[in-house]
Amino acid sequence: MPVLFAHLMETGFGGFYDGIAHLLITPVDLMLVIGLSVLAGQQGPAGGRLLLALLPMSWWLGGMAGQWLRFDTSLTALTTALLIVVGVLVALARRLKAAVLALLVVVAGLVFGLANGFTLPVAAGMSLDLLGVVSAVAVLVLLISGQVVVTQRSWLRIAQQVAGSWIAAAGVLALGLMLKG
Amino acid sequence: MLRRLVLPLLLVVALMLPRWANAHDLFPGFLELKATAASDYQVLWKLPLFKGQRLPIAPRFPDDCALQGGLDSQREARALVVRTQLQCKTPLEGRAISIDGLAAAGTEVLLRVQPWQSNTQQTLLIQPEQPSATVPTAAEAAEQPGVWSYLRLGIEHILLGVDHLLLLLGLVLIVCDGWMLLKTVSAFTLANSITLSVSAVGIVDVPAGPLNAAIALSILFMGTEVVRFLRGRTSFTLRHPWVLACGFGLLHGFGYARGLAELGLPHHELLLALLLFNVGIEIGQDIFVLLVLGLQRSFRQLQIRWPVWVQRMPAWTIGCAGAYWTIQTTLAMVTGGA
Repeated sequence: MPVLFAHLMETGFGGFYDGIAHLLITPVDLMLVIGLSVLAGQQGPAGGRLLLALLPMSWWLGGMAGQWLRFDTSLTALTTALLIVVGVLVALARRLKAAVLALLVVVAGLVFGLANGFTLPVAAGMSLDLLGVVSAVAVLVLLISGQVVVTQRSWLRIAQQVAGSWIAAAGVLALGLMLKG
Repeated sequence: MLRRLVLPLLLVVALMLPRWANAHDLFPGFLELKATAASDYQVLWKLPLFKGQRLPIAPRFPDDCALQGGLDSQREARALVVRTQLQCKTPLEGRAISIDGLAAAGTEVLLRVQPWQSNTQQTLLIQPEQPSATVPTAAEAAEQPGVWSYLRLGIEHILLGVDHLLLLLGLVLIVCDGWMLLKTVSAFTLANSITLSVSAVGIVDVPAGPLNAAIALSILFMGTEVVRFLRGRTSFTLRHPWVLACGFGLLHGFGYARGLAELGLPHHELLLALLLFNVGIEIGQDIFVLLVLGLQRSFRQLQIRWPVWVQRMPAWTIGCAGAYWTIQTTLAMVTGGA
C-alpha cells in the first residue's frame, strides 16, 4: 500500500485522539482537507462557510456508512483522483459556482469518509475514532480557510497555488505508482 | 420551526454531555518491583478503586515466579494497596510483565522497577494498547530516565479532563482582550502549579470528596459567569477574571495533584517528575487555549454570525455539566461513595 494511505494510530489517549491523529498522519486525507480548505478560502468567506457546513457532515455520513457496510474494497483510485482534481483547482485559483464547489465537497467527504469507515475500529454506539476524525476535519477547515480568506499578499496567493500544484503532483505520483502495481 | 426542534435537542445533549463525559480522574494503577536479591522482589501494587470498586486489572508475572508469604493489603481512599514478595527462578530483567484487564478497565499502569544492586529506578507506562512491558536491566535503568512518563501523564490528564477543559473554555470566553487573557491564563497556570506542587509532595492534603464537589461547583459558577457576560452584564469576576482564574487554579491544582499523589512520586526524582507532570499539564492547557482562540479568529474571518442561542450553547454546556457534577459529587460525598 502506498505510503500516502491508511494509518491506524494509537495515541494512548483514547479513540477521539486516535481519530485526530489518524487524519494528521494520513497524507492523502490531510492533503485533501488542506486542498479543499484553500480552494474554499479562494472563493471568499461564503466558500469557507459552505465547506464548513458540508465537509464534516458528509465525512461523518460516509464514515458511518463505511463502518456499517464494512465490505473489503479499495477506494484508492477514487480518492487519488479527487485529490488530483482538488489540487488542480487550487493551482488554477479559479472562481467556482457554489453548486459546483458544494458537489465536489460532498462527494469528497462521502468518499473519504467511506474509506475511513472501512479502516477505523468499529464501535457499538458512537465511534469516538470517527468523531475525532470529523472534529479534526472541521477544525482544520476553519483554521485554514479562514486564514486563506484574509490573505492579501500576492506572494502568499502564489504560494497557495504552488501548494495546490504539489497536491496534484502527489496525487499523480500516487496514481502512477498504483497503475504500475 | 427549526429553532423549536433544535433547541430542545441541544438542551438534551447539554444535559447528557456530563453523563457521557464524566469529570476526569487520573486512575492509573501502580506496580513497583524492588529487587531484594538477584531474582527476589519486593512488590507494591496499588489497585485503583473507582466509586469504591476495584478495577478489574491484575499484574501477570512469568510462570516461574511465585508470590511468597501472605498478602498485606490496605484500603486507602482511592486505591487498594498490596505489599508482598515475589520469587522467580531467573531474574525478571529483560523479561515481560503484563497487566490483565487494562483494555476493559480503560486505564494505565505505571511500572517502577529497581533492579538488583542498582540505586536507580526505571518508570514505564503500560497502556491498554500494549499491556506489557519488558523489565529493564540495571544498565538500562541507569540510561533511560523513565520519569518522562510523567510528562505524558500530565498532557493526558488535561486532554482527557473534560471538567478542566470546560473551565478553561469559560475563562477564554469571558476575557475580551489579549493582555487580560495573558494575565488570566498566567494566573491560572501559576495558581495550579502551586497547589499541584504542595499537594503532590504531601505538604497539604485535601480530602477527595469535598475537593471534587468544589471543582464541580467552580465549573457551575463559571457557566453562570459566561451567561452573565453574554447578556452584557458585569460582575467582579468579569472585571477581574484573573482573580477568578487564580482562585480556581488553586482548586484545580489540588485536583491535578490528587491522582499523582496517590500514585506516589519516585523519591529520588521527585522534583523532576513533578515538574514534568506540571509541564505536561501546561502544554495541554496552552494547546487548548490556542485552539479556542484560533477558532474564534476563524469564525470572524469567515464572517460566521451565530444566532444568539448558538452563542449561548457553550455557556449552557459548561453550566449544565457543572450542575450535574456538583449534584453527583455532593451525593457521592454524602453517601460516602467519593
